[in-house]
Parts: sequence; C-alpha cells; structure tokens
Amino acid sequence: MSGFVSTRGQVGFNDLKIPGAWSRKIGKDLYEVFIGPQHPGSGHMRIIIRIDGDVIVEADPDMGYVHRTMEKLGEGREWIKGIPLYERMAIHDACNVTLPYVRAVEQLLGIEAPLRAKYLRVLLCEINRIAAYLYGFGIFGVFVGHSTMYMWPFGDREVWIELADWLTGARLTHSYPVFGGVRRDVPADFTNQLRKAIRYMRKRLEEYRKIYVDNPVIRARLEDVGVIPKNLAIELGITGPNLRASGVLYDVRYNDPYEVYDELDFEIPVFQEGDALARVWQRVEEIKQSLRILEQVADWLDKHPREPILHDRFWKTAPPLHKKIFETEGRAKLVPLYALLKVPKGKAYARAETARGEITYYVESDGGQKPYRVRIVSASARNAIVFKYILPGHRVMDLPTIYGSIDYFPPEADR
Amino acid sequence: MVPPKPVPKTKPRRGIFHAFKGNLEALMIGVKYFIDPKRFTLIYPKEYNKLREGYRGFIVLIKQKCINCASCARICPAAAMKMIRIPEVDEKTGKQKVKNWPVIDYRRCIFCGYCVDVCPTEALYHVPYHDVVYQNMAEMYLDLESFQKPPEYKAAEEGIPVRYIVDEERGLVKVPYKEGEK
Ligand code: SF4
Ligand code: SF4
Repeated sequence: MSGFVSTRGQVGFNDLKIPGAWSRKIGKDLYEVFIGPQHPGSGHMRIIIRIDGDVIVEADPDMGYVHRTMEKLGEGREWIKGIPLYERMAIHDACNVTLPYVRAVEQLLGIEAPLRAKYLRVLLCEINRIAAYLYGFGIFGVFVGHSTMYMWPFGDREVWIELADWLTGARLTHSYPVFGGVRRDVPADFTNQLRKAIRYMRKRLEEYRKIYVDNPVIRARLEDVGVIPKNLAIELGITGPNLRASGVLYDVRYNDPYEVYDELDFEIPVFQEGDALARVWQRVEEIKQSLRILEQVADWLDKHPREPILHDRFWKTAPPLHKKIFETEGRAKLVPLYALLKVPKGKAYARAETARGEITYYVESDGGQKPYRVRIVSASARNAIVFKYILPGHRVMDLPTIYGSIDYFPPEADR
Repeated sequence: MVPPKPVPKTKPRRGIFHAFKGNLEALMIGVKYFIDPKRFTLIYPKEYNKLREGYRGFIVLIKQKCINCASCARICPAAAMKMIRIPEVDEKTGKQKVKNWPVIDYRRCIFCGYCVDVCPTEALYHVPYHDVVYQNMAEMYLDLESFQKPPEYKAAEEGIPVRYIVDEERGLVKVPYKEGEK
C-alpha cells in the first residue's frame, strides 16, 4: 500500500491496481486525501478522494473494513442459527435484513407463516424501518454540524426501540422471525402504546421539518448537492430511498409484495429531484407511510384474537406446556425440531425492502442440517458505488452531506 | 383492502420569505425546547431501568426441572450453552453414573433466547436485567452451581427503579416504577 503515500508520482501509480482502490497518476497540484476508515465522518469505510484545491476530482469508495465472512460462517451452522448471524449485518434493522432469509427457507420447506405472524412481522419491520431512518437522520445531522438533529432522532429512536424491546425482548438483535412464524405475540396494551408513539412521531416530524429539513441554513447546504440523475441511478443499480428520491418507482413492498404488504393501504412516495434534500424528504415521507402501516397493523391485531403464530408443522408437535405458555405469556416456544431441522434439497430466492433498499438472499440446500450456500446482496453494498460517480465536482465540504444523505451503512455492505 | 400505490412528490417550494420564515420557525422551536426541554436520561446508577417482563436478560437454570435433553446446547447459535458431564449417585439404585447438565459461557452468549424458548420443560428462564459485572473473563463461564442462582444485580441494591413509557406529547418519559407492574 506504500504507493498511496504521495501523489507526486515518485511511486509507480500507473501500475497500482488494488480492487476497490486503484490509483493512477493525476498530475500537478492534485492531492489525494484518505477519508477513513477511522475518520468519524466515514464510518467503517474509506473514501479516497483526489482534490484540486477544494474541488473533488475523483473519488473511490473503499469498502471491506468490517467484512466478517458472514456467508461462509452461515455454511457451518444449522439453519436456525443463521438468523442471529445475518441479523448482525444491520442490527438496528434486524427484522428487515433477516426476513428474506427466513422466507427463502420457508419456500424450501414449503410452508408459510400464519396470517397473524405475517402481521407481526410487518409490525416489527416497520418499527425497525422507522428506527433505522431516525438513526440515519442522526448521523446525517452530526455530519452537517447540526447537533440538535443528532440528539433528537436518537432520542426519538428510543421510542421505537423501546417498543421493539417490549415486543421481542431485545432492543436491537431481536431474532424475531423464525421459520414458519414469529417468536412472540404482542403483549397486552402494546397496541395502545404503539398508537401513542405513532401520534407522537407525526408531531415530531413536523418539528424536524422546522428545525432541520426546511431550515434555510440546512437547505442551502443540501439543495442541488449530490444529484443522482434518474438514468445514472438506474445504471448504477442503486436501491432503496436513494433510488426513489431520483424519481424511480421501485420498492420491493410494491413491486413484489411479501407478507401482507399488498393488503395494506399506503403510498410509495417518489421524489423527482434526486439531490440530498430530496433524499431527506424521501425518508421523512416514508416514515409517515410506515406510521400509516403501523396504524393498520395495530387495528388488525386488536380486532383479531390470539391464534398460533407458528406454522402447524412446528406447532402441532408442541407439548401442552408450550401451548399453555403461549396462552398466558404470548411466547411461542420453539420445538426441539428447530435445532435439527433438515431443509429439502433445492434453491430459493427471496428479497425484502430494508431501510436502505432491497436485500436479496439466494439460499441453496443440499438436504442437510446446514445450508449449502447463502448468498446475500445487501442494499448498502449496491449503494456504495454511487460515491464514485456523484462526488466529483463537489467541494470537500459537500462530502459529509452526500455521505450522510446516502445513509450508507458499512457493516451491512461488508457482511 | 387497498394495495400500496406510488405517489410522485417534489420538494416543497422555497417561497420569497423562506429565509425569514424558515429561520424564525427554527429559532422558535429552539426556544420552545430551551424553556421546556425533553430529557429522559437515566441517572445510572442512582436510578436503574426496571425492564419489562419478557426481557431477554441473563439466564438461570432450574435444575429440578431439567431433563438433560441437551436441546438448549444444540440450538445455541454461539455455542455458549454447553453440556458438562457430572458424576453422581443414583438415589434409587445407589449406583454411580454420569449425567449431562447445561452450563453457560457468558463470554459467548448473545442473548438470543433460543435456549429458553427451546427448553421443553421451562427449566431455563431470563432474569429481566443485563447490567451484571464480572471481575474477570474466567468468572463468566459459569459452573452448574452458579448457573442456578440469578446473578447478583448490584444496580438494584443501590438505585431506585424507573420505567420508560411512551407518551403522546413527550415521547419517551421516565416514570418511577410501581411495585407489581409487569
Ligand atoms: S441466549 Fe442464545 S447464545 Fe445465549 S446461551 Fe441461550 S441460545 Fe446460546
Ligand atoms: S433444554 Fe432444558 S431440559 Fe433440556 S438440557 Fe437444556 S435446560 Fe435441561
């Protein structure tokens, strides 16, 4: 890596080609700046920029600093152990990132979760989505030097984490969906607290608008910065709110509805401008829609009595003690079969819309107790490339703005 | 039911007085929270968060209920739950024999709760707290004796219990914990 020390051309830059960080001689008065991986403004990644004065000429996102060989680790573990493992890609979005894995295995097993379990999954997915967006807002706020916007979303995120904690028993690593259902039913009075949180968040979004999104100072920094044109967004294959903020209608919940998303009444906002401000608005609008989904899910859960939340294949072998605990505590105990589960030979593919975009799982089984292969393509991995194309031409001060508005999450990208 | 529908949107326009109005709005909201701040910081250890029933905290074994089935060790994704062989004397026959008992290694445990959920006899349960201190790493690998006792909860001895609830106006609020609440 010594070739990266200087840009003055003493070392053979022409020859240096490392995947993700290849470099070349640029010329006189060009400086190469390494931002990250320890830089507070970059997360666990490095962005190599070459600057002429204050203007970025070239940018190279250099990822892989938090690679944990997750796909390989998954091959050495029983099926159910994959859930807590893959969850660690994005712990604050745990239900969304593990759901397609669960669904892919369910496809191979030929089972489907009961309706109530589907609603419960959607419930936690949307709670996670809101919490993850708020997390992104907080990071974005501190990037552009707005420390109020750092404190507020992190404080309000606690509301959603508290609810998720109450529902699942853990603040972040919920391990909530399992094959054929979910692990717990909603506690008594949960839906009332949820409704309060929804009403609170609606008010709060209006305050966010006033202090941050529509604040003239912030607007001046975000407007027309980091524009991703529609065709570039499609070409690069970026995904999630970033893609929708560029005017492309693509949301897995809409294009390939899973669980009960096709029965819920909500909107997919699509912003046209594609700049940093539009990306923030996109997320604000999506939080509003998530709140709408949660309201409907709360109503549904209130109207329908408690029924088994695990598929019959697992639930019918459950001893009376399990059933009693489910009746009294709402906790669906797992049958020992889960640890020894053999999944029929085959290949399955599933996807879901996480807070950062589409995540896809390709799962292959050779009929054994462990997966033969689990391939994951996460949303952040697809979004990372965008830095290379939209940073050039901007000033260095725009880098945190763009980075924050993309809501890039390195642990998810590196896996 | 109605399926989701796409809605094209654009950023709100910037009016002529935006610079004035926007700044004023931002300042007003700042003043509002300056006068009446929303704080819910936990003053730990003077206070401690009394977590709800069902929280996946530290795990305790009820030995009398355990049937030595090893389901918990088999499902543990982090290999934190292990079965150890302990020789003992059978009460009826008086013969020497070896039995397997689960023990937990908190250096590895990720508190997923699979073991508690898979145990067929409810021999394992979670205590609703997680702020437990160990003096060294070796202590975190419990033996059968210490696995049967709830870990010492220092914060509860010194602090007062509080609970967080969701409020419509103020978001999360800290309220004193009332005895008997779940
Ligand atoms: S909580 Fe999870 S990681 Fe900890 S011992 Fe139980 S199964 Fe293993
Ligand atoms: S699963 Fe329960 S009964 Fe079986 S060995 Fe573990 S603690 Fe004992």
